[in-house]
Amino acid sequence: MLGIQMDSSNLDTLPKLLKNNYLKHGDRKRAMRVKQRGIWQHYTWKDYYQKVKWLSLGLISLGMEPGDKVAILGENKPQWYWAELAVQSARGTVIGIFTDCLPAEVKFYLDNSESRFVIAHDQEQVDKFLVSYRDKEGNDHKSIVEENPGLKKIIYWDDKGMRGFGSAPIGDYANPVLMSLDELMKTGRDYEKSNAQLFEENIENGKGDDIGIFLYTSGTTGLPKGAMIRQRALVDGTGAWFAVDRWQQQEQYLSFLPPAWITEQALGVGGNLLSGMEINFPEEPETVQENIREIGPDILFWGPRNWESVTRLIQAKMIDTSVLRRFMYRIFLPVGFKAAALRLAVGRPGWLWLMFYSIANFSVFRALKDKVGLLKVRCAYSAGAAISPEIFRYFQAIGVNIKQLYGSTEMGLVTIHSDDDVRPETCGPPMPGYEIRLSEEGEVMVRSDKLFAGYYKKPEATQKTYRGNWYMSGDFGHIEENGHLIIIDRMDDLKELSGSRKFSPQYAEIRLRFSPYIKDVLIIGSKERDFVTSIVNIDTENVGRWAESRKIPYTTFTDLSQKNQVIDMMKAEIARVNKNLPEWSRIRKFVNLHKEFDADEDELTRTRKIRREFIEKRYDYLITALYSNQAELQVDAPIIYRDGRTGTMKTSIKVNEL
Amino acid sequence: MAEQNGVKLKVQGISLYFGKLRALGGVDIEVRGSEILAIIGPNGAGKSCLLNCINGFYRPQEGEILFEGRNITHLATHKIAELGISRTFQNIELYTGLSVLDNLMAARHLHMKQGALAGAFYFGPAYREEMKHREVVEDIIDFLEMEAIRKKVVGLLPYGMRKRVELGRALALEPKILLLDEPMAGMNIDEKEDMARFIIDTIELRRIPIMLVEHDMEVVVDIADRIVVLDFGNKIAEGIPSEIYASPAVIKAYIGE
Repeated sequence: MLGIQMDSSNLDTLPKLLKNNYLKHGDRKRAMRVKQRGIWQHYTWKDYYQKVKWLSLGLISLGMEPGDKVAILGENKPQWYWAELAVQSARGTVIGIFTDCLPAEVKFYLDNSESRFVIAHDQEQVDKFLVSYRDKEGNDHKSIVEENPGLKKIIYWDDKGMRGFGSAPIGDYANPVLMSLDELMKTGRDYEKSNAQLFEENIENGKGDDIGIFLYTSGTTGLPKGAMIRQRALVDGTGAWFAVDRWQQQEQYLSFLPPAWITEQALGVGGNLLSGMEINFPEEPETVQENIREIGPDILFWGPRNWESVTRLIQAKMIDTSVLRRFMYRIFLPVGFKAAALRLAVGRPGWLWLMFYSIANFSVFRALKDKVGLLKVRCAYSAGAAISPEIFRYFQAIGVNIKQLYGSTEMGLVTIHSDDDVRPETCGPPMPGYEIRLSEEGEVMVRSDKLFAGYYKKPEATQKTYRGNWYMSGDFGHIEENGHLIIIDRMDDLKELSGSRKFSPQYAEIRLRFSPYIKDVLIIGSKERDFVTSIVNIDTENVGRWAESRKIPYTTFTDLSQKNQVIDMMKAEIARVNKNLPEWSRIRKFVNLHKEFDADEDELTRTRKIRREFIEKRYDYLITALYSNQAELQVDAPIIYRDGRTGTMKTSIKVNEL
Repeated sequence: MAEQNGVKLKVQGISLYFGKLRALGGVDIEVRGSEILAIIGPNGAGKSCLLNCINGFYRPQEGEILFEGRNITHLATHKIAELGISRTFQNIELYTGLSVLDNLMAARHLHMKQGALAGAFYFGPAYREEMKHREVVEDIIDFLEMEAIRKKVVGLLPYGMRKRVELGRALALEPKILLLDEPMAGMNIDEKEDMARFIIDTIELRRIPIMLVEHDMEVVVDIADRIVVLDFGNKIAEGIPSEIYASPAVIKAYIGE
């Protein structure tokens, strides 16, 4: 053993956990791995600790003070995690920003949080600060660097596209506000020589009440709000989760969800520090499917959409595979479903089904799981939105023990399934240290000492979310007798048809999205309306393949979406879901939208949730048409490109009746 | 920096005949140290012939080609490649059965010093050499954002991607000048934009001058520093894009009178 172990009751901040791991494992255990230049490279706990130390001291030598805010924007890479711990070691606060934010959004976060330093991934991120831009209202702005003179340094870790030449293509990369992460680390190393004990002292002085990070709420309504998360909440929130699932030191975790999201903070940052598990970073977002096979993760957290896309991938591959394989799959999949249903209902299928299942497992499921990198998964998580029970059952059937969690930026993660009591339609019972109950209106309320510390500079908004010391989640739910929580919809999103018939749009949307041909869908209905309608986004890839196999020629997305055959196929898909809906909430009419919903156009949030009100407003002419007798309408759709340019598209859309 | 802005490649009065048919008639062209020179012209103007002369596929009957001051007119193709002239082809010429990585590594052959025997035992120097070349290749994969297709077989890649791999292979030779033959032919707009960006990056970040043959006028006008227009084997115009765009001779050659 190296040195003295720290008293574990005092580990109330992430940097203290890091130091604890360093003392415990030193150079003998890997903390993280990243694929670079086609090769997996690793960092031990000692590497992790030292990088954090030098970065932290580097920031201090540049004038960073306790309480300062440092924004980080980048993909999942070790540097993000080093930077976060470095800032927190210096008793600063991290501002997590999503990488696909536009310059105007980045500016909002910087201004709102008063960030003095930025740590950015690469040229793409750095350009957001150096280049003048146009916001969504069409106003031109000078670059952020010019508009925010208080910004002291922008530190980048990937210099691709910014190397060497002063007169480089886009931004002025010779601007002294820029600095590379390596340079910062070197500065920190030099600073350590004259301040040998500073880093350790800073860690010791860290308090559980320090604000570790601001996470901006995805803001389905209004401007995003910065939720302040205390160090103690980060540590104890993860601790409660750890108490349920006990991640092991040798287990592999795939880092995939953005670190600016609470789940990756809890599992990727916190879980790694708390359990000592190894965290793996894929090479590029596009290589995840390939890298996941190489990693063979034991622990995996995906949003429902990722799980959906894996099922879609499997379904699509099955269409292309050999007749024999398809035959085996068709035969054994029902076995998997039956065995999973028995396991979920009575805890353990009978020996006959166990036998069938093991045959199915060895002949089909193992190979299938291996192909998509899920063979070793012990803890598979889904959260962020409700996952469709069909998908849930599907993964249970092929032997991936997928569990749902419920939580939010403000609450952290609140409920989770235990291994022996997984139910497709629930989010499980509360984790240790959390209490839940329902208000008279059916809103889920949560009480715990691990909740957020309020919205930054918005005490009224914070107060509004509390009733006494219960946090009002804004979710409409139901608690079963066994304590499992069921989330039905957002309170605000529950809708009423004429004659106060209530329905949940999300419920139908999720079930529609399970179709491989539907990528997104919005269900519409209100008090003034008699029936439910919908706007459908077809899945280009799968519908395209479907059309090709039927020799249906098409040119663009728009053209494909309005083909009669595609519309008929869509009718069949909707009819299938309609069957399970109460009579009044069935979808009567729909349109296939001529374009895909896009986060750059504010139609989706950065976590890819549909912004209902915005879309309803934007496409009000479509909705009017859906409730009139029109069979077709001409649209002029504005499109906004990433760089702020705009254009329009003329096309005609068919209104379809079921 | 004299060499940077000086003339890298000089084509002096070359003429090329196929029997009685004159494909090139006394063409003069200069490519300078850090520029993208575009060669445009209608079908059959002699654009590809010109490239084929430069890298030794065709032998011009008249005229000289000087590369960094050295006469390369009569050198063998592989010698010309060794000197640092690298190219891509109109109809992609890759090993379709090999992976992207292997295609790029094959291009490094020129720079490999170890023999087949040492390579077979893959030990000591051969191993170190392989590592060194792999590093160069990985740089290119990073540069052209090909991580996701590194191990994919080239024959299975979409067309636009194959074009990108071909550019990668040309870069793997570590050329001093790059000849691109219709790098954007048959691409959709997204692919064209990507390719245009990579071509600009090549000159901005790697400082490799480029001679580009391309049909797509919009692309050429956007990215080229200078343009040379060929028609029936003759140079009919030369200048910066805005001049060429407005030149009556060019409009006549393209659209007719």
